[in-house]
Amino acid sequence: MASVLIVDDAAFMRMMLKDILVKNGYEVVGEAVNGADAVEKYRELQPDIVTMDITMPEMDGITAVKNIRAMDPAANIIMCSAMGQQPMVLEAIQAGAKDFVVKPFQADRVMESIKRVLGS
Amino acid sequence: MDLNNYLELFIEESKEHVQAINDELLKLEIEPENIDIVNEIFRSAHTLKGMAASMGFDDLASLTHEMENVLDMIRQSELRITEEIMNVVFTCVDLIAKMVDNIEQGGDGTEDVTEIVRKLQSIQNPSIIHDEERVSAQNEAATTKELVIDEFQRSIIQEARKLGNHVYEVYVKLDERCVMKSVRAYMVFQAAEDLGEIIQTDPPVEQIEEDQFGDSFTLLLLSHHDRLKIEAQLTNISEVKAVIVTEKTEQELGNTDKQNHLNPNVTDKPRKGKENQKASETKKKPVTKSIRVDIEKLDRLMNLFSELIIDRGRLEQIARKSQIPDLIETVEHMTRISTDLQGLVLNMRMVPVEQVFNRFPRMVRDLAKDLNKKVQLVVEGAETELDRTVIDEIGDPLVHLLRNALDHGLESTDERIANNKPEEGRILLKAYHSGNHVFIEVVDDGKGINREKVLKKAIERGVISEEESYSLSDQQVYSLIFSSGFSTADKISDISGRGVGLDVVKTKIESLGGTITIDSTPEQGSAFRIQLPLSLSIIYSMLVKVAEEIYAIPFNSIVEITTNSDNEVYTLHGQKVIQFRGQVVPLIELKEVFQVPQVESPKVNQPLYIVIVRKGDQTIGLVTDTVLGQQEIVLKPLGRYLNQLQGISGATILGNGEVALIIDTNQFFNEKG
Amino acid sequence: MVKIIVFKLGEEEYALDIEFVQSIERIQPITRVPNAPSYVKGLMNLRGNVIPIIDLRKKLNIGETNFTDHTRIIISKYEDIELGFIVDQTSDVIDVSRDELEMELSGRMEFDAFGGIVNFSGRLIILLKMEELVKTEVK
Repeated sequence: MASVLIVDDAAFMRMMLKDILVKNGYEVVGEAVNGADAVEKYRELQPDIVTMDITMPEMDGITAVKNIRAMDPAANIIMCSAMGQQPMVLEAIQAGAKDFVVKPFQADRVMESIKRVLGS
Repeated sequence: MDLNNYLELFIEESKEHVQAINDELLKLEIEPENIDIVNEIFRSAHTLKGMAASMGFDDLASLTHEMENVLDMIRQSELRITEEIMNVVFTCVDLIAKMVDNIEQGGDGTEDVTEIVRKLQSIQNPSIIHDEERVSAQNEAATTKELVIDEFQRSIIQEARKLGNHVYEVYVKLDERCVMKSVRAYMVFQAAEDLGEIIQTDPPVEQIEEDQFGDSFTLLLLSHHDRLKIEAQLTNISEVKAVIVTEKTEQELGNTDKQNHLNPNVTDKPRKGKENQKASETKKKPVTKSIRVDIEKLDRLMNLFSELIIDRGRLEQIARKSQIPDLIETVEHMTRISTDLQGLVLNMRMVPVEQVFNRFPRMVRDLAKDLNKKVQLVVEGAETELDRTVIDEIGDPLVHLLRNALDHGLESTDERIANNKPEEGRILLKAYHSGNHVFIEVVDDGKGINREKVLKKAIERGVISEEESYSLSDQQVYSLIFSSGFSTADKISDISGRGVGLDVVKTKIESLGGTITIDSTPEQGSAFRIQLPLSLSIIYSMLVKVAEEIYAIPFNSIVEITTNSDNEVYTLHGQKVIQFRGQVVPLIELKEVFQVPQVESPKVNQPLYIVIVRKGDQTIGLVTDTVLGQQEIVLKPLGRYLNQLQGISGATILGNGEVALIIDTNQFFNEKG
Repeated sequence: MVKIIVFKLGEEEYALDIEFVQSIERIQPITRVPNAPSYVKGLMNLRGNVIPIIDLRKKLNIGETNFTDHTRIIISKYEDIELGFIVDQTSDVIDVSRDELEMELSGRMEFDAFGGIVNFSGRLIILLKMEELVKTEVK
């Protein structure tokens, strides 16, 4: 069972993602509410995969991706973006994020992405 | 997925964001150049959009989407803030709030947003329709283009072939539901470049970057990997629906067209993401970990804890009687722990009054505009905490007081100028903590309350008689405006309603166990002061006995306890009094006011205990038979059936399971004292 | 059909719609409430809730209850108001159909809380109107 760290500043989004993941048999080992929190939790929990929101207070998702990748170049990070954030998603991908999903979340899309990233 | 599970959270967070936007917009009005503020608003709008779209509230999503676009242009300095833009954005927020309210009340949050969306779009681009047409035309053009190569590319291909590379034409089709096609395409490029070298794309890479293509695009790839490997690698990218890789022979590549659009610079990275997130990052907010708990659970916790306190009282009694040291020690330990626990439980219910206060700046702004008055609202002590139950109830009374201050308290701008006052009126909304109470004040620097006007109206309405009016202190006159059906405005306005009002405020505050008083100075303004209990449920009190009945007197009103044997009782004008610390203190015989049945003839020489209680700077003495001791009691409301009992504020359950009444000492102070 | 709970006030039989009845309790210590209407006997602790107790005989102006071994308190709830009614004895719960309910009473006997009269195998039972019983006089 793969372990997942969910990063999003909106509790609503975290809850939604968590439900999707748990229903599909993943273990959500932690939730982080901003980029800085995410980096810290990643270090602590070493999850198999991270879902990362982009726009967050304190530290945004892209900076978090850079920090996490610096710590663990093999980190599997999936960006969770809202519509209209292409440039930022692109930057995140360039920074090493493995994939992205666009809100509103569709369970099948989220799962597809996670399976692909973990499979590759 | 059953979205209803998220609805509550959605509503709560949406409200927080609407509030945040409102707050920031007000700041932005003052500092239109501050991009940090725009970033904050952008972030809230953005989150709202994401949440709304997830829940399927399309109107809300499309409105926030357009709003976000406008905000984005502002923060990119592509747009300058004008009053018109501010007004449109304010309207948006109102509409969003309306939708969220509708959703909360079980609606579907639909609202006609076309008009406001059109406004937002025309802010972004006055000629938006033409723009769309142009884009779609380009898309069509893009999809029909043939993949062609020039001489330079041909030479690269030839070189590559010599090194054992193959030339592949890679056709990639994306899922039609794919939202960020350009980023997907970028990921395909990235993966393809791991396998070889891209020498050309169709449509050209600039168009792909700009999302100006249909579902599919084609690459010309040089690679030494075989076809299946390439297909497998590229298919593994999310939302890539189909990958068709065909090897190209030299003949097939023969047709050269020098006029076609060439894009050999595929390896140039697409434009960097915009770096404007930084501004908001620097604004540090302390992050505390928290969970949300249903308020009902807290209430239940509180109830259970209350039961525990009752048992604790009982246990203390047993321990004292038993004289078993181990038991006494254990009970004492339990008492200490439960005291800590109590602090924690009560604390969990405490919420900063900010939750209520933060909607007022916007309200005052709108109201001031309606009334054509200039006003500055100063908020102090928003961090002051109050019991959640009080927070939920205090909003309406405060709205009323603020409206009253704006409408009736503050003069018109002309009047202020004529009276040599600053043009801009000032309303202070202030909360602070003192003892077991929280105070909230609404202070204005307006014209003050006109004593004569109030009296005239009170007499007209039959609230008081003309004779009575002469003997009233200013305070007493002011408090007349809390009488039902009283309105001091010469003209009835929409703002403060039609005379329904301040009496409702008073009733509400009293139902929360609070009091409200008014201070006013002619030409300098008025201050409404609300006093509220810090916590509703557990109060420290002194248990007293009157004949065979036990009553609880809340500790916070008790000054001191004395006996009639230490103080001589005098009779002044038919009223029994004692002299206590240089003050004449009137006595109230609880036996009389509560008509306590006499069980046996009173023992003559038994000293009577006098509990001296205070309200403001007045004191009175409550005469009781015995003082039983201090105890924490749990306030149990008497319910609707028995409200407004003279001198009684509620009941509690004693350690022996019997009910005792809690005395409301305030009611023994007569208004004219 | 309505289910009603039948009880005695003196020798007369009265009833309440069982929909409003939560439980039947034995007499426990009741704390007198000063300055309350005379039919308010006081307050009782019922499993942590403080409930006003009404002397139903007094409320209906048919004397005053003397506590005996049979005296019971009917705990009732109407909207958010919980009240206990002291009755001399509870007898049984019976089913009554709407048309068995006689609404007519000679004008001389009419009172506010009258909700109909049931003739149940020779017994005459007066059904009381809960919404009237929970009203307090405006002081």
